[in-house]
Amino acid sequence: MGSYYDVDDIIAEEEPVSAVFQKPANGVGIDPSAEKNCVDQGSKVELPFWLANELCQRNAVSVLVPPCFDEKTRLEIQADPACVDLRSRSPYFYEFGCKMVPIVADRTLGFLLFSAFRSRYKDVLTKAHTASHVAAPKILSRLTKEEVNLYEAAQSSVAAFKKWRIGGRRFHPASVLGRKRRSEE
Amino acid sequence: MYGRKASQLVKELTGGEKGQLKAFNDDLFNQVIKECSSHHVGLQALFRNMQEEGLDIQTTRNADFYGALIHHLSLTRNKRCLMAYMYNRAEVIRSLKWKLGRVLPNELVTKLSNSEKEYFKGYSAALDAYMNEMNLDLTVDMVPPKDPYIQVRVLDDIGEVLLTDRSANLARYSMHFLKRTDAEQYICQGLMEELLS
Repeated sequence: MGSYYDVDDIIAEEEPVSAVFQKPANGVGIDPSAEKNCVDQGSKVELPFWLANELCQRNAVSVLVPPCFDEKTRLEIQADPACVDLRSRSPYFYEFGCKMVPIVADRTLGFLLFSAFRSRYKDVLTKAHTASHVAAPKILSRLTKEEVNLYEAAQSSVAAFKKWRIGGRRFHPASVLGRKRRSEE
Repeated sequence: MYGRKASQLVKELTGGEKGQLKAFNDDLFNQVIKECSSHHVGLQALFRNMQEEGLDIQTTRNADFYGALIHHLSLTRNKRCLMAYMYNRAEVIRSLKWKLGRVLPNELVTKLSNSEKEYFKGYSAALDAYMNEMNLDLTVDMVPPKDPYIQVRVLDDIGEVLLTDRSANLARYSMHFLKRTDAEQYICQGLMEELLS
């Protein structure tokens, strides 16, 4: 699990989850369909994961499997894992999935995540090693955050290897400055 | 939805290129704090309800309790987002000292909040004091040197400066053969580039 200050971990926990309230709650405005400021027992509300998780552990809500892990996604992953657009389902597909496993009843979710990552891993690395550096290839738009990190790590290792062989500039302007300074001249 | 604004604040950290700093978002930051205050008010109102009904807050599990719980969770979530925003920015600000030295370019200063400017001053003073005491400049030679002297081209008018071994007129587009340690800070600030033989 990510650290307290981990930005990716925080954003991954913002993913929406459908939850059914087992207990009523007063004085909160999270159910858009309710007339008053309260949630009734049995009403279905879309909550961010961080809230759903804590409520679920206290048995206040039960959580449904999010749509990004639905049957259609599973079939697509079985057919051709490398071509599935996981980013549009959730940019934090794996992290979110791992967080969901303990609180949903679905026992196959963990295996789905594992098999999807394993079969896509090799493909991502191969493409990162062979693709040209200039144009961001189309595949990037299908990858989740985790896979993009992997892709970039692979590319930078190729770049570092080339630099080591050929030599090159050893100093660089600080990256915080961006490329603005050049255009100002 | 609760905590939505706070997560937008955190998302600002990830947008843009890596290692870049965006302007401190005062407006959104204050909105999140305002949301926190309203959670606090909501939380206290529910507790008061329970006390008036003569219920024990520790053990009762009624609708008021779950409402209060949601407010409490939202508070801790908002706090985490605010802390992460400050913490990750502070990390970048500390790295500026190592990369750019004592003085920040104007375009960067405008992106910092007042307390962040103070923080940068304090951090660089602490680091300077330490380096003075050790009599060692830790910020040079971040890349292991191969040669004590390097060939550089000046990209911006720097003017007449005093280097460690001599003084030089660093006019724009002039080329020089400088001591590595002298050139390093200028290259990091984007004022020079290294020429490769």
